[in-house]
Amino acid sequence: MTTCDYCDQDAVYHDVQIKNGVHKTQNLCKQHANEAGFLIDSVNLSIVLNIGESDLPSKSTAVACSDCGMTIAQYKEKSLLGCPTCYETFRNKLKHIIAEVQDNHLQHIGRAPSSEGVDVNRHLEVLRLLKKLDKAVNQEEYEQAATLRDQIRELHDGGDLHGN
Amino acid sequence: MAIDPIKNCPFNRDDSPFGDVVLSSRARLARNLDGFPFVHRSSSSDCKEVSSLIKQICEHQPDDAILEWVNLDELDAQSTELFVERHLVSSNLANATHPRAIAIGPELSRSVMVNEEDHVRIQSIRPGLQLDEARKDVEALDERIEEVIAYAFDEQLGFLTACPTNVGTGARFSVMLHLPALRIIKDLQRVRNACEGMSLAIRGYQGEGSKAIADLYQVSNQVTLGYTEEQLCSIIANDFLPPVIEWEREARKSVASNQYSKLEDQTFRSLGLLQSARMIKLHEAMQCLGNIRLGVCLGLIDSIEIKTINKLFIEIHPAHLRHIYGIDTPDAEIHSLRSDLLREKLTQ
Repeated sequence: MTTCDYCDQDAVYHDVQIKNGVHKTQNLCKQHANEAGFLIDSVNLSIVLNIGESDLPSKSTAVACSDCGMTIAQYKEKSLLGCPTCYETFRNKLKHIIAEVQDNHLQHIGRAPSSEGVDVNRHLEVLRLLKKLDKAVNQEEYEQAATLRDQIRELHDGGDLHGN
Repeated sequence: MAIDPIKNCPFNRDDSPFGDVVLSSRARLARNLDGFPFVHRSSSSDCKEVSSLIKQICEHQPDDAILEWVNLDELDAQSTELFVERHLVSSNLANATHPRAIAIGPELSRSVMVNEEDHVRIQSIRPGLQLDEARKDVEALDERIEEVIAYAFDEQLGFLTACPTNVGTGARFSVMLHLPALRIIKDLQRVRNACEGMSLAIRGYQGEGSKAIADLYQVSNQVTLGYTEEQLCSIIANDFLPPVIEWEREARKSVASNQYSKLEDQTFRSLGLLQSARMIKLHEAMQCLGNIRLGVCLGLIDSIEIKTINKLFIEIHPAHLRHIYGIDTPDAEIHSLRSDLLREKLTQ
């Protein structure tokens, strides 16, 4: 066990600060921790981590799908993706996984949806955007909500959705 | 359920190309709707919404193409099990609790599973080697659905599926093979090697994770990306199967000429057992049917049709027996009813 920075007693309070990549630690026994104003229970250890904003892991290591919130770690648990957007979010990571299970093929050459039925597809696109808009408003992401609103208007202005 | 599963069976039909070796052909397409999470991340209301969209499509078709809609969360356990035994519903879908459904066509050969691992799984089963016909069945259904809804699709990766092992075409083509003679002459490894060389998977009667039963093997494509649907079918139908069918037929001839007494004994011992038994377990009955099937193919028995045996492979399963003899049949009586059915069908 680590000893106190001020005496030979076992340390029960550990303060770790990371600022601009520099680590600063403080280990205190119960008495010195109490003297410094930290209330330490006789049983519990207290560990305080103060990490500067710039020292947080970069977003790319914990990226989550913007549509369903899935992370690559969650994908690895079940080998199932969360939604179609996950393919876009994790495109680079999935490339290796797909190449492995698909005999190194990475380009689809089979059937594709026909361009017919566009009006109905637009209906569904509006439905999808409305759901995203609802989610954005609930989460107070107003900038994204405004973008979604414009996209919905654009789809509506593109023609009569009912095909009349 | 309005469709009678016994009267409606693909094996009732007489067209069964290469039916001596190829029991059936199956095609399946996996599709997902754009704008919805995949099923395992979907809320109950998402699942209901997907289900109601597909239902509208399936119920608004020309008369000859209408599919019967069955909500699996409202279906009794017996009928659900019956679908599983017909390979129309996976065990995963049967045991799930979220809103899910199946749309089924006449003969219970064409179906659309809704909210399985993917939102939509379109399937067709045909007797014998009819893989290309099964492919056309599912593509026709696919086109009707696609006229109305937007699929999740990516120019590079094709149809997007919950599991990357299905991405691209989303197509799985499979054939059920009867290979008793290759087992007898201990040459099955040749088939396994051929599968490995062509990126095909070989499994038992029940598919993934199942053991071989009655010398029945299911062979399917492992890769779904980088080939067209026609190419994937062709690998199985034109590259893999012709030599395998030839190997099995040659092996049968060899068994008939070099091990005739053994073959005759195996055939009539199995027939005698099924014609006499008063209780029989599924595995033993399946194995005996497999032995009789080989005898029928080699002309040792001419009073039994191959399609009778093909149908019995299905009908001797518990839910089918309950459908025939009564839904309340206790488990303890199933072995006895199985032997009754076998005696009735094989003693004519």
